[in-house]
This record gives sequence, C-alpha cells and structure tokens, in this order.
Amino acid sequence: MQPVMKFPNVFSEKKGRYINYFTKTDDGRSFFDEKIVKLNGQKYRSVNPERSKLFAGIAKGISQIGFRDDSVVLYLGASHGYTVSFLSDMVKNGQIYAMDFAPRVIRDLIFLCEAKTNIAPFMADAKQPSTYKSLLPSSGVDVVFMDIAQKNQVEIFTKNCDTFLKKGGFGLLALKARSVDVTKKPKIIFKEVRSDLEKKYVVVDYRELAPFEEDHALFVIKKR
Amino acid sequence: MSDNNFQSIRETFITNAKAKLAGSVNEDILIIQALATVDDLTLSLNNVSTRLREWAAYTVPELEHSVSNHESFARFLVGKTYDEIQAEFVKGESMGAKLSDEDYTALISFAIKVTEMYDLRSSLIDYLDSLMDKYMPNVLAIAGTTISARLLSSAGSLKRLATVPASTLQLYGAEKALFRHLRSGARSPKYGHIFSHPLIQHTNRSIGGKVARALADKLAICAKLDYFKGEFLADKYLEDLETKFEVNL
Repeated sequence: MQPVMKFPNVFSEKKGRYINYFTKTDDGRSFFDEKIVKLNGQKYRSVNPERSKLFAGIAKGISQIGFRDDSVVLYLGASHGYTVSFLSDMVKNGQIYAMDFAPRVIRDLIFLCEAKTNIAPFMADAKQPSTYKSLLPSSGVDVVFMDIAQKNQVEIFTKNCDTFLKKGGFGLLALKARSVDVTKKPKIIFKEVRSDLEKKYVVVDYRELAPFEEDHALFVIKKR
Repeated sequence: MSDNNFQSIRETFITNAKAKLAGSVNEDILIIQALATVDDLTLSLNNVSTRLREWAAYTVPELEHSVSNHESFARFLVGKTYDEIQAEFVKGESMGAKLSDEDYTALISFAIKVTEMYDLRSSLIDYLDSLMDKYMPNVLAIAGTTISARLLSSAGSLKRLATVPASTLQLYGAEKALFRHLRSGARSPKYGHIFSHPLIQHTNRSIGGKVARALADKLAICAKLDYFKGEFLADKYLEDLETKFEVNL
C-alpha cells in the first residue's frame, strides 16, 4: 500500500496485473458494500473505478485533479454519492457541496451526508446556477466537479465554472460522448470539446476512460 | 469560513433537502410505481403459474390439459376439492397420482397464494385506473389504462408529456429502434407504446404510420388539456379518429 502522488489520501496497491485504489478513512464505515482493508491500524476503503469516473481517470494515469486536503468542492451530479463518499475521505478538512436534480438519488445521498460531516447536499438544477448561487460561499469554490449526462453539458460546465470557480481553481468535467450526440464518433466529440474548453481555460489534462467507462472522458481545466 | 459555520450550513442544507424530497411526491410517481408493480407482478405471475402447472399436473393432469388459462387454472385448484375436479374433468381412468393429504395441502396452499397475487394485480389495475381518471382523464379515454400509464412512465411526468412534441410521444417505447435508426441509418420506427392501441391494431398496417401520427397528435392535445386542467374533449377526438380511418372501436 503506497500513497498516490498529488492526490490526498489516495493509496494504491499492486495485485498482479491490476492496481487497486483505496482512500484512507477514519471511521472505517462501508457505505456501498465496499471492502475495508486494515493495515498498521489504519483503515482503507477500496474503490471500484468502474463505478467512479474520477477514479477511472486516476487509474488511467491523470496527472492532476486539483483536490487538496482542505478544498472547497462543488459537486454537480452527485447521484447516490459513490464518488462523493470517496471525495469526502480525500478532502478530509474541506467542504463538499453535493448537488443533484433527481429526488430519487438525493434520498440515498442524504443518508451518506448524515454520516460524513463534510458533505452538504442540496437539490437544484445545474442549468440555472443563479438559483443556488446564494447557497454557496460567496468567495467561490476551489474545485468544480461535474458528472451529469446532458446534451449541453459543456455549456452547463462553463456556466458553473464562470459563476463559482476561484481564480486558479480547477474544474473537472466527466463527459459522456453518447449523450452529446449519438451519431458522432466519441473521439471527434472529445476533440471538439477540448478546443471549446481551450478558448476559455487552460486544459491541464484529459483522459479517455475506456475500459472503465466506454465513450467517456475526464477533462481537467484550470481557470486563468 | 470557519468549520463551525460550515456545520450549521450543512445542517440547514440537509433539512432543506429533506423537506424538498418529502414535497416531491406527486401523482406522477404514484402512477409510475403502480405501473411498474403491475408489470413486475405480471412477470412473476407467469413464472409461478407455470411452476404451479408443472407441480399440479402430477396429480390432476386432466385439469392441467383442459384449462389453458393460468388464472382460471389456479382458481379451479383452490375453489374445488380433489374429488370434484376428478368428477368434472376425468373420463374413465385418471392418469394422475393420488397424493396424500399433506402433499395435496402443500400444493393448494401455493395455489392460494397464486390466486391472491392475481387478485392483487387486478386491484392494482383498478387503483391505477381511478388514479389516472382523476389526473389525466383525456389521455386515459383515448389510450386506455396501460398505454397511458406507459406513456407517462416514459415521459417521467405529465408536465413533460404535455410539453413534448407529438412525434416524440409517437415514438415513446421505441427508443431502441429510434437510436438504431439514428446511429446506423436503419429504417425509422413508426410507433412505440401506442402500437397496441386498438386503432392501430384494427387498421391496415400499410397505413400504420399515418394512423400512429394522427393518434399521437390527438394524444399530445389531450396531454396538454390534462396538464392545464382543461375540459373533457377526448370522446370527440376519438370519434374524429374513428371516422377518419373508418374504424369502429
């Protein structure tokens, strides 16, 4: 078990051909039936990169994701909270504002938030940042993570980054090519999105997430 | 921002989210859940009924052979004693084995549960009907219980059903064929859930696309009437369709 460079509280362990990823946890509670590994009195939660696009990106060797131990994170599209629960371990002293639109998944998210004291859940529509602007810290956030499968998700992403991201803050976009346009080839869509993002931000890194997620890519941008 | 401050913010966030969640339950969700339950029950009933048949055929093969409907088969088993069934269905010698009381009781107690499941399903369909009669009377009158509920379930809410174009409504339930068409240029689908509508079933399939389009148009109007709490005009529209395509439903 060894720490993964640049990513706080993330550990990896090589097992044969595979690398397993873990986050260091304090309470050692399992939320999604994931395995808890105990080592030298420390507890680690095992992550499945097939369920989390963030960790799929890490497993594909992304160079920088912008999280620090005390980041303030805006997470759009938190869903049931799988990735959020690991993010909560990573930004241990930070704050996570987890948002989703669908009532069904907020139900699961609330149970997670009651156990993890650094997540604040709320229900809103990512297409309209003005409706939840008053809820978030006025100084902005350090990282915006977006994982929503929408046709115009790049537009929504830039809108949110412009509204909430601090100068020099990072934005992570998990792009699903199939919801942008089913008829186009994913590679072409990724290229277009990249050039779109480069007009406004610095694109730090980009990884296609196959074989963990087909036709998905994770973009990391930095606000100038 | 201090950590203490964040904790109080977090508490209010959780309280707000809980309140919003509790307020988000409406007729849409109730109808969608009831429909999903009916579908699940239909699947399970098919499973358990086949099992009941297999099991019962060892002792009452003649009944199993002559009653092809699953539901009435289960009701026969429950409603009549072994001797009555034998008297009614067997001519001459029976080829079934005579089970001991204990074995036969086990079979019958399973059959009772199966009939109860049929009762549950029909009462759920009645409930679904009454729910939709209040919520979307126009769509219900044109499309019937199952198709209306499926359309609502595909759209997700009556609001969305009222705002989508008629052509979208026409293809709800044909997503697989539609995306195959978009992806690879295969022929486009003509109908989704509305395929099982009697209007399409009773007209010549060569004008199927035309009928589906007209039906979807009227359904879209009806969805708008229902969402904006308009008057009941569905019977007039249905009559229009019937005269247009010369069908008597």
